Amino acid sequence: MNNAFDTLSDDEVRQIAQLVETLDHSTFDFLQLEIGDLKLTIGKGAAPPTGVATAPVAAAQPPVAAPAAHVPAAPVVTPAAPDPSPPAAKAKGPVQDGTVAIVAPIMGRFYAQPEPGAAPFVAVGAMVRKETTVALIEVMKVFNAVPAGVSGVVTEICVQDAAIIEYGQVMFRVRPTETASNDIPIVA
Amino acid sequence: MTVSRVLIANRGEIAVRVIRACQALGIETVLAVSEADRDSLPARLADRTICIGPASATASYLNVNTIVAAASGTGSDAVHPGYGFLAESPELADACAAEGITFVGPQAEQIRQMGNKLQARTLARQCGVPILPGSEKVHSFEEAGAVAAQIGLPVMLKAAAGGGGRGMKIVTEAKDMRQMFTSASAEARAAFGNDTLYLERYIANARHVEVQLLGDRFGNVVHLGERDCSLQRRHQKLVEEAPAPAMTESRREEIRQAAVTLARNIGYENAGTVEFIFDQDTGKFYFLEMNTRIQVEHPVSEAITGVDLVQEQLRIARGEALRFSQSDVIFRGHAIECRITAEVPDEGFRPSPGRIMVWSPPEGPNIRLDTHCYAGYTVPIFYDSMVAKLIIYGRDRAEAVERMRRALAQFSVSGIGTNLSFLRFVMSHPDFAAGKVNTRLVEELITQMRAVPSAIASA
Repeated sequence: MNNAFDTLSDDEVRQIAQLVETLDHSTFDFLQLEIGDLKLTIGKGAAPPTGVATAPVAAAQPPVAAPAAHVPAAPVVTPAAPDPSPPAAKAKGPVQDGTVAIVAPIMGRFYAQPEPGAAPFVAVGAMVRKETTVALIEVMKVFNAVPAGVSGVVTEICVQDAAIIEYGQVMFRVRPTETASNDIPIVA
Repeated sequence: MTVSRVLIANRGEIAVRVIRACQALGIETVLAVSEADRDSLPARLADRTICIGPASATASYLNVNTIVAAASGTGSDAVHPGYGFLAESPELADACAAEGITFVGPQAEQIRQMGNKLQARTLARQCGVPILPGSEKVHSFEEAGAVAAQIGLPVMLKAAAGGGGRGMKIVTEAKDMRQMFTSASAEARAAFGNDTLYLERYIANARHVEVQLLGDRFGNVVHLGERDCSLQRRHQKLVEEAPAPAMTESRREEIRQAAVTLARNIGYENAGTVEFIFDQDTGKFYFLEMNTRIQVEHPVSEAITGVDLVQEQLRIARGEALRFSQSDVIFRGHAIECRITAEVPDEGFRPSPGRIMVWSPPEGPNIRLDTHCYAGYTVPIFYDSMVAKLIIYGRDRAEAVERMRRALAQFSVSGIGTNLSFLRFVMSHPDFAAGKVNTRLVEELITQMRAVPSAIASA
């Protein structure tokens, strides 16, 4: 039995969630735990500097517990975070490349710019903050501005302008930055 | 008016049913799914799916704007609403029309007319269709008490915006009126956002008889016979059959004609059902309401007429005239439908969702199973508890009942609880076999079954 995550009880998951929350409010960047076979790395910034070759630990929102290297395929444990109510976008957990996805909070037509002919809200390489509008989703002539929900650098735009997107579909990938402080330039 | 790609705004067995009908007519299908239904059986059968929202129906299947946007976004030229959810939403019919999308159902105005039960009552009276002695809108319990004194107790309080048994209360004694009025209006307000109530005489020894109709836009209306749906639990139908048993041929013809008259009068288009209450003590029948959609129990009418009602819905929606006249509709044999739900009868019909481990339905001639379930499927907690409809055909009622008994005995399900044990008990009960049914029989049988626990175990 290689995958220790399969054996985690609800209680243990809850304890991890508590650790995550504690860490989030602390000044530490990450926490590494080793109990028997289970290695746990929780971080809110860059990956730990030395030693353990962890899967890239993500960014900030929401803090996640990433599996250690010997269980690469294990699912990311995401602590229970309050579900943002639509149309706030949800940033999904990190994948192997360390980016997080911004997914569609509602089904509708995706618009990359505020009006035809205008510059797009974001381009690849742009910095976004949680509240930065990244797209409009139109449902029956009602345009819903979608905030990024995560701070970081846009690495990929996954949807064609004016395409219909499904609920939960990935719209953007973002490489998260450490914190969402005010000195990050605001993207227009 | 083309119908070449249909968005199906529903889930479960009716989504499967509509997809199959579209396939038979060479129509492409797009299934709107909630996040919980992405991997459902209908999702696999449809040509494509579009995820319209989270599991919660209010944010997905009940969202008019999202449904219409999904239809236009996927290039669908029609929307089939199934039953439940938005099937009787005039707003959906209107929104489709505004987008140039065909709504597979009646005109919005016809849904509105029949959706308001008081207005429907008035329409029925104007057409000469008998209605129960009752009232217009009653504003207070005092007024309700005065009306009740006139028409005689017992009476039933009903919600004008009603349906599904909510906002319905039986008042047998005048002193109960105040309390019943208060709770009925509260229920109506909670369920429909409208607490308008009216009164009708309550028929104790009643059967629920309804007539299946099809109408086209050229004014043709035909009926496909009647169904008896008297076996209900909390106003939810459990067993339906066609034709209605124990009814004189002249009375049967009168009921069918009354339904046709009402539909013809409003130029009704597409499939619909007119429901009546049949007083077994007097032999009289009264208009209850009209359902402006395909109904759960439509297969029993299909079984005895050979007409595919959902295919006819699609043909009518694309502007075709009915392909047959009344005299072409031939009734043959008897059909019974049992609704199989994920509910545990001996625990007060507690819902029992979960993962189906064993799903082994009966097979053979004269057996039809409409379902979206299979071994390994997880019945989600978010929606209706119905998991299948078992429809059995026989040359006559006795043969259909006997075949239904055997089919239910062969039906084996584990992983989730089902009401199969109760359905077996109903089918083996002498009152049902004798056709002695009324709208209170199910409650009596539940009591009987509890009294004899071995009845469940041996069933």
